[in-house]
Amino acid sequence: MALTITCPICGARNGYEFRYGGEEKGPKPDEAALRSPEAWCDYIHFNRCKAGAQEEWWFHRDGCGAWFTIHRDTVTNREIPGKEAGI
Amino acid sequence: MLKKPSATAKPLWKKAPFKSSYDAVIIGGGLHGLATAYFLARDHGMTNIAVIEKRYIGFGGAGRNTAIVRANQRTQENVPLYKEALELWPVLTRELDFNLMFYNCGNLNLAHSDAALKAMRTNVATARFHGVQSRVVDPKECKELVPALDISERPRYPIFGGMYHPPGGIVRHDAVVWGLAKGATAKGIHIHQGTEVTGIGVSNGKVVSVETDKGKIATNRVLNAAGGYSAALSWNLLGMKLPISVLTIQAMVTQPLKPLLHHVVSSGAYHCYANQTLKGEIATGSHMDPWPNYTTQTTARYIKHQAEALIEMMPCLSGIKFMRTWGGLADMTPDMAPIMDGNHPHEGYYLDCGWGYFGFKSSTVTGKYMAQYMATGQCPEILAPFALRRFQEHRLMGETAALVNYTPDN
Ligand SMILES: Cc1cc2nc3c(=O)[nH]c(=O)nc-3n(C[C@H](O)[C@H](O)[C@H](O)COP(=O)(O)OP(=O)(O)OC[C@H]3O[C@@H](n4cnc5c(N)ncnc54)[C@H](O)[C@@H]3O)c2cc1C
Ligand SMILES: [Zn+2]
Repeated sequence: MALTITCPICGARNGYEFRYGGEEKGPKPDEAALRSPEAWCDYIHFNRCKAGAQEEWWFHRDGCGAWFTIHRDTVTNREIPGKEAGI
Repeated sequence: MLKKPSATAKPLWKKAPFKSSYDAVIIGGGLHGLATAYFLARDHGMTNIAVIEKRYIGFGGAGRNTAIVRANQRTQENVPLYKEALELWPVLTRELDFNLMFYNCGNLNLAHSDAALKAMRTNVATARFHGVQSRVVDPKECKELVPALDISERPRYPIFGGMYHPPGGIVRHDAVVWGLAKGATAKGIHIHQGTEVTGIGVSNGKVVSVETDKGKIATNRVLNAAGGYSAALSWNLLGMKLPISVLTIQAMVTQPLKPLLHHVVSSGAYHCYANQTLKGEIATGSHMDPWPNYTTQTTARYIKHQAEALIEMMPCLSGIKFMRTWGGLADMTPDMAPIMDGNHPHEGYYLDCGWGYFGFKSSTVTGKYMAQYMATGQCPEILAPFALRRFQEHRLMGETAALVNYTPDN
């Protein structure tokens, strides 16, 4: 199941051009909040590891260099529209 | 004349009735789950235990791994655990009365730069400090160990030397699954295959039950040993996130050949390791998919990669055909060391996961210590460094600095 990823600038391209950048975890907590070990760990290390639709970051490494999020089903390895993902 | 299998085959374990209450429930009939069940019975007299397996025992990493065992890890917290695991194979073979086919052919890890050789010296020092045999070898000795290796300047990454670890090797993974299932059920443990855990009941901070698609079980101890599915399960059932990424990892075997590779050979630079099975196939494992997924897919990309890497290392393999390829899941932590914890966030909830692509070799000994943890409620000293809170306390382990380093980032 080859992965195609839609870059907002370059359009749909082969997944191997991109580097995965992690689960979308919301805005980065401010410095004061990140000083708490729990918040740091939560933001830096913890994942939901969803088997199914998730929103996630990608970097177009072998392309335009953009960072962006897409929705993808981690079970079928297919990019899906955000609305369908329900998140 | 061949006998009909039905006439001679004896089932190794019995199907058990599904009870509404157990002293402990183990999620996952993989190696870690089965081993924990076995040692709960053997060492602690706890036999009223259920192992709940969604598909069939050995469905997960247990039946998909490349069966390599060794004890030359990087850090002093990890080495003693793996050393004891190596020593357990012959013991369990006798105890379970089942041939686990431990073939201690030794492991040769190749260095392709001066920096890699330097790192090997540190690694060897750690191993020796813990009484594990390991030594640095020069290219000539690499060639003596594995005559098929090309030690000339020709390959993309020429061989600068290696680290040789004689006590490691390979063990037949299916035999470990079946042997442990046999041993555990003989002691009275129930294995329920085709049964999915769908919920964990918690009351006043304590585990009180486990829900399954076959009914509810009252219990005050549950172990999450669901391998690649453990992090998703933890989030779905308890809303508890883990420092894990789940990646598909592939392996493949060639057509059988006459014996030519007498040791496990591995190379971090080529992202490739290989050994020759007792049937003659060259079994080889590759890098993980560079993004999380639960597909267990196999891809042409890695078949090509393995072929290229193997031929660079051992040119005589050129033209040999791959026969089979398969994939499994690797639950990777940021420090490439596992998570073993208990009574967190709820009393009676135990966790044994994050074993990535290296949790076969340690499965039996982990089962022994997780059983002790679950029976006594006290964390055995050897497991203490693996607690989940190390990620909050910035005490990540240095296994990412180990030589065969395949993190999602490279
Ligand atoms: C291709 C590959 C090569 C590898 N090579 C090696 C190697 O050479 N050496 C090494 O040491 N390790 C290797 N590993 C890693 C090793 O296989 C794993 O670390 C190990 O199998 C983990 O064991 P486990 O018992 O924790 O999990 P698993 O064996 O994965 O078992 C987990 C079980 O839980 C079940 N389950 C999941 N969800 C539920 C649920 N909701 N209810 C009930 N049951 C559930 C699954 O069906 C599965 O059977 C490799 C892995 C792969 C994929
Ligand atoms: Zn782009």
